[in-house]
Amino acid sequence: MSFLEKAINAGSTALYLQRNYEIVRQLLAKGLAERGFILEPLSKAVEREWVRKLLWTALPQREVGLSGAFVYVPPGVSLRAPVSICFVVSEGVQEVHNVLVVGEGSELVVLSTCTSAGEGTMHGGYTEIFLEKGAKLDCVIIHSWTTKTQVIAETGVVVGEKASFNDVYISLKSPHALKESTRITVRKGGSALASTLYLAGPGSSTLETVVMLEGEGASVEVNSKIVATSGSFVSNPITIEAAAPNTRGHVECRGLQLSSDSVIVTIPALRSARGGSRLTHEAAIGKISEEELAYLMTKGFSEEEATSMLVRGFLELGLKSVPEPLKPQVTSILDLMARFATA
Amino acid sequence: MLLEVEKLSVEVEGRTVVRRADLSMGKGEIHVLLGPNGSGKTTFLRAIMGLPGYNIVEGRVFFEGRELNGLKPHERARLGIALMHQNPRPLTVKLSHLAREISKRYGTSLDVLGDFALDSLMEREAFKGFSGGEAKKAELALTILQRPKLAMLDEPDSGIDLESLKLVGRAINRLAEGGAGVLLVTHTGAVIEYLRRVTMAHVIVRGRIVASGDVETLLEAVKRKGYEALARGEIL
Repeated sequence: MSFLEKAINAGSTALYLQRNYEIVRQLLAKGLAERGFILEPLSKAVEREWVRKLLWTALPQREVGLSGAFVYVPPGVSLRAPVSICFVVSEGVQEVHNVLVVGEGSELVVLSTCTSAGEGTMHGGYTEIFLEKGAKLDCVIIHSWTTKTQVIAETGVVVGEKASFNDVYISLKSPHALKESTRITVRKGGSALASTLYLAGPGSSTLETVVMLEGEGASVEVNSKIVATSGSFVSNPITIEAAAPNTRGHVECRGLQLSSDSVIVTIPALRSARGGSRLTHEAAIGKISEEELAYLMTKGFSEEEATSMLVRGFLELGLKSVPEPLKPQVTSILDLMARFATA
Repeated sequence: MLLEVEKLSVEVEGRTVVRRADLSMGKGEIHVLLGPNGSGKTTFLRAIMGLPGYNIVEGRVFFEGRELNGLKPHERARLGIALMHQNPRPLTVKLSHLAREISKRYGTSLDVLGDFALDSLMEREAFKGFSGGEAKKAELALTILQRPKLAMLDEPDSGIDLESLKLVGRAINRLAEGGAGVLLVTHTGAVIEYLRRVTMAHVIVRGRIVASGDVETLLEAVKRKGYEALARGEIL
């Protein structure tokens, strides 16, 4: 039994694995199709006119083909077991376009993994997410790249009226060049929580988030934690724009420099175009505290182990809302990040 | 002998804080170190633990016959020496994670934390925003979790309520009954009445151990005449 089949038996709702442009696995738990749930290649999904009309409405149009996954949860369906989507690039260029639609009042948990298995590869991932009225999406995205990979990742999210979007983006191993951009539009009464945990190795990374609070009462919280190791450059612009009254937004960006030859640039920006919004931000960059290291060493941890614990703590304390079904995976990833940070 | 300190002198930031101090203790013994503020009690413990910035300029420290000079703090901890810090600074680590890692390191059970009523603190950053009593209990619990052969406790009885004081006393008794040596620094001596027995007390004044002996006699002498009189040799 394959790893993926074991995973679906262990409780995943559905699985989709694509290597380069080949769909390696596509599995759906019994009964889901009958309830109207769809997981299929985007190339097939666009046979429906309403899907075609959705394309490139949450992101600026790009010249990208129809390789990628389409996920649809019909109204009133709650799926708390995770849907797993995984992309692997092992040679050349992989460009994918994914579309997720969560119907009115529905709930979905997604675990999305992207990784490279070869050197000199390029991954372009374009994902559009639509949450209809009252829908809820918990999404954990885990990236792990080989060093000589280039990555462009663009995500557009439309959070509908009273809908809720909770996104945790974790990068375990950074590529030598990455441009990651997330654009979230929050409509009336909707809410979004976007958390980033980024372990930066040698190379240049830009992690940009732009949130538009478009509807009255919309809210967002953006938390970003960056750990910079030797030879890394990370730029982290985060903008919240309030375009409707009674909106709330908060940005928190924190950087931890483990090496003197690393650079972190945090750029929190707030723009209020309407009165009655409340926007705040906090930003801080620092290094590991010598006092904390010394304390942990008196408890029996070597300097490397103590540093690793403090990195883990720094990252973990940035996580506000990990979906319950994915907590074990996230805990394991945090352990790995802490280990890699001091490797 | 569990711990032997021979003519130990310690400098902190270029200033000699401990001067030619001698102290020996065996397994299961409780030794109390008394002294006024700034007399060198904490520095004495930290130097034995090998903390950076506490430079041994003279003398030697032996633990179970092995010389400690030159060993890093984590190496000393792994030999069985634990330091309960007086005021642990807030850590960027959840208390639950720290406790788990310590219990893994020493092969101990987290059940020992049960006595300390720490449940409401476990998912918080260790020591961040803890009250004085909460910090003392958490730090003592972590020290016990190390299953130390030598527990150096730096003022576990300061700034805590009566109930916590009894708890600290019970914990120290259990440590000693389990065979650990306990070197207890106390400013007020408040916890002493809850200890079943104290092997010996030492008084340190301006970095020198000026008297060693029975704890009740020394405490009485300090109460009557003060530390300076002891340092001048006017008592005993």
